[in-house]
Amino acid sequence: MNKTLLLSLAVLAASAAQTAAAQTTIKINGYGGTDPAVVGDLINRFVKPALAKDKITVIYEPLQGDYNKSLTTLLAAGNAGDVFYLPAETIDGFVATGKVLPLNGLVSTGPFIKSLNTAFTKGGRLYGVAKDFNTLTLVYNRDLFDEAGVAYPNNNDTWATLQTKLTTLKQKLGSDYAGICLQPNWDRFGAFAFATGWQQFDSKGKTNLADPRFVEAFNFYTGLARNKVGIQPSEVSEGWTGGCLKSGKVAVAIEGNWVVNFLRDNAPNLKFGTALMPKYTKTGTRGNFLYTVGWAINSGTKNRQAALKVLNILTSPQVQQYVLEQGLAIPSRTALTSNAYFKKTDPGAVNSRLVFDGADDGNVRAFTFGPQGTDWGKPINEALAAVLSGQKSATDALKKAQADMNTFQNR
Amino acid sequence: MRRGFSQTPTAYLFLAPFLVTTAVFFFYAFGRAVYYSFTDFNLFNTPQLIGVKPYADVLGDPSFRRALGNSLVFAVLTTTLQTVGALLMAVALNNKIRGMSFFRSAWYMPSITSSVVITLIFLWLFQRRGIANYVITQAQAYAPLLLTFLGVLLVAQVVQVLLERARRLPAGWFDPALAAMSALVALAVTAGLAWAGVVGVREVPPFDYQYFADKWIEVGSVRVLSIPLLVVVIQNTFTTIPTLMLFFLAGLQNIPGALYEAADIDGATPWQKLTRVTVPMLHPVTFYVITVGLIGTMQMFDQVAVIGTAAPGDTLITLAYYVYTNTFKAGAAPVNMASAGAIILALIILAMVFVQRRFFPSEAQ
Repeated sequence: MNKTLLLSLAVLAASAAQTAAAQTTIKINGYGGTDPAVVGDLINRFVKPALAKDKITVIYEPLQGDYNKSLTTLLAAGNAGDVFYLPAETIDGFVATGKVLPLNGLVSTGPFIKSLNTAFTKGGRLYGVAKDFNTLTLVYNRDLFDEAGVAYPNNNDTWATLQTKLTTLKQKLGSDYAGICLQPNWDRFGAFAFATGWQQFDSKGKTNLADPRFVEAFNFYTGLARNKVGIQPSEVSEGWTGGCLKSGKVAVAIEGNWVVNFLRDNAPNLKFGTALMPKYTKTGTRGNFLYTVGWAINSGTKNRQAALKVLNILTSPQVQQYVLEQGLAIPSRTALTSNAYFKKTDPGAVNSRLVFDGADDGNVRAFTFGPQGTDWGKPINEALAAVLSGQKSATDALKKAQADMNTFQNR
Repeated sequence: MRRGFSQTPTAYLFLAPFLVTTAVFFFYAFGRAVYYSFTDFNLFNTPQLIGVKPYADVLGDPSFRRALGNSLVFAVLTTTLQTVGALLMAVALNNKIRGMSFFRSAWYMPSITSSVVITLIFLWLFQRRGIANYVITQAQAYAPLLLTFLGVLLVAQVVQVLLERARRLPAGWFDPALAAMSALVALAVTAGLAWAGVVGVREVPPFDYQYFADKWIEVGSVRVLSIPLLVVVIQNTFTTIPTLMLFFLAGLQNIPGALYEAADIDGATPWQKLTRVTVPMLHPVTFYVITVGLIGTMQMFDQVAVIGTAAPGDTLITLAYYVYTNTFKAGAAPVNMASAGAIILALIILAMVFVQRRFFPSEAQ
């Protein structure tokens, strides 16, 4: 009697332990905002059904507020998720922690856009698979161009022809209107610098702002502000260039696909069109930024195989197609270029297609700041702000920027 | 008490919780910060000693220099304003007026409200279309009426006082009875002019000033104080005056009334009583208030953190915020520089207190 009881208890305990061991929970860390709803939907729709037989459950834990800071503290404390968002923008800092698992040989990167894979590759190792991405396009207000009788920006525009169009428009419409909104920030200006073939870092990892190509891009960008053809967002009481468009006072803004939903919600009557970034006049090459976030795996995870399965499902064709058709984001697989969604002619879909096309047209680089983090952009932003607001000449501003950059990089 | 039983262990037992927390969260943490400030620590690696390079990097960092300037300007300005303000407020609230307890409570409100909430309220007040700009717009619109009223009031008061004096009657310039009469006259004149259409409300464009922008008050092309920081100065003064006022109130209770009686007999004016009796007698309290104020303002962090990216980076960066931003970035971060910055901040505060003790003795004269 006693023996049987003991035996049955032992069997029970063993089986309980087995189910506990077999049931793995994979924690995902990502952005707050609308992401918990979106990713939660993906998990319920695709991940859980596929992994139920493997006894893997998945939970999404959003990090509200500043994602980079929150993830840093979690990684330092060893509490980060098994899978997490890895922004290409800050990849260097996270790779330096040694907490991100290199994925070479673990996932196949063939189906994804090449420039996106490059964005997540550091020192020959791949640290993330692009979840989705954005690039820059010229988004313009059709009505203002119609009113001024100037042709819309198009995919053949060079810097010079675009400048002519904007200047003419400004002359026709007068002092209440402006041609283009210019953010005094690397996050827009950098695309023009890349178009010239300028490199963010030379072979020694240093940044050269005295390079004639950089200077040329800088002069073009800040030169647009002459005679108020180009203005800063603050001049029309806006915080960003998408806001300039919304105001109806500015004809062009350089923005990505995020502006579509913003305009739909805030300026529903505004008729907008999209064109690719203008080509560098001398070579006919475009420059562009990739803003992308990847899925990465925590190198300290206890469930590497399960985490890999989750990552593979989240980047699978079905999931990406779903994301695209829901209008949530631009997915990262090349195969989707022939998707029916891109054939649509409404302004939002056109913008999506051009953002997608921009990813492999010309000198496209990830929006990133290098190994020392976001402070890298400061000297450039200060120079842009000083020249755009007329406080300094381009020469003086660039001289100071180079000095600050050297101090920063010699740390 | 039994003989041979020492009280010391009991005392330590009661002190233990505080001693332990201080040892862990202050002395141990401070020691680690000092150690990190000489290493290449980045939050994830094994620290290696690299000497004073982090200090050199920090001193060469334009952001740090800006943070140092901002912190010092902020500390000096805010401490001055809040000390003077708290003293005047305390003197005003030290009178025996009906309902004084209500005023004391009302004045104290800003201090018990969370600084985060107050900061958000101030952000809202000082938006481009916020209350501050609205009030200025209204003031501009009603300026003709206001100026007429004030002008007539002034003229009427001067005329009345001169008439009284011509009749050999003693009348002060601020005689309340005459002032009430002047105000009535001024009101009547303004209303009459407004009715006749001579003066009226002007049409003015809305006052459109951006407070949280890259704007600076410059002294000889040196950027001294940014406008966003000025807003924080105003806010901080507003929220700290009540607390400091309490210290002054306590100090005022300890001033013997005989001194004021003697001053009255000698014919001292209220101003003379304030400067010759009250201020010197409050010397120890003032020393304490200034010390606490300087330490608090040098460490100011929460307001800047809440405003965050609403204002351009360098306009608001303070030393404490510099330390924070260099610790929590994205992954590996220059924690050694943050530690060095923190140590420099500690040394500055130490030096300030030392200078104060050396040159402004805390004893009453």
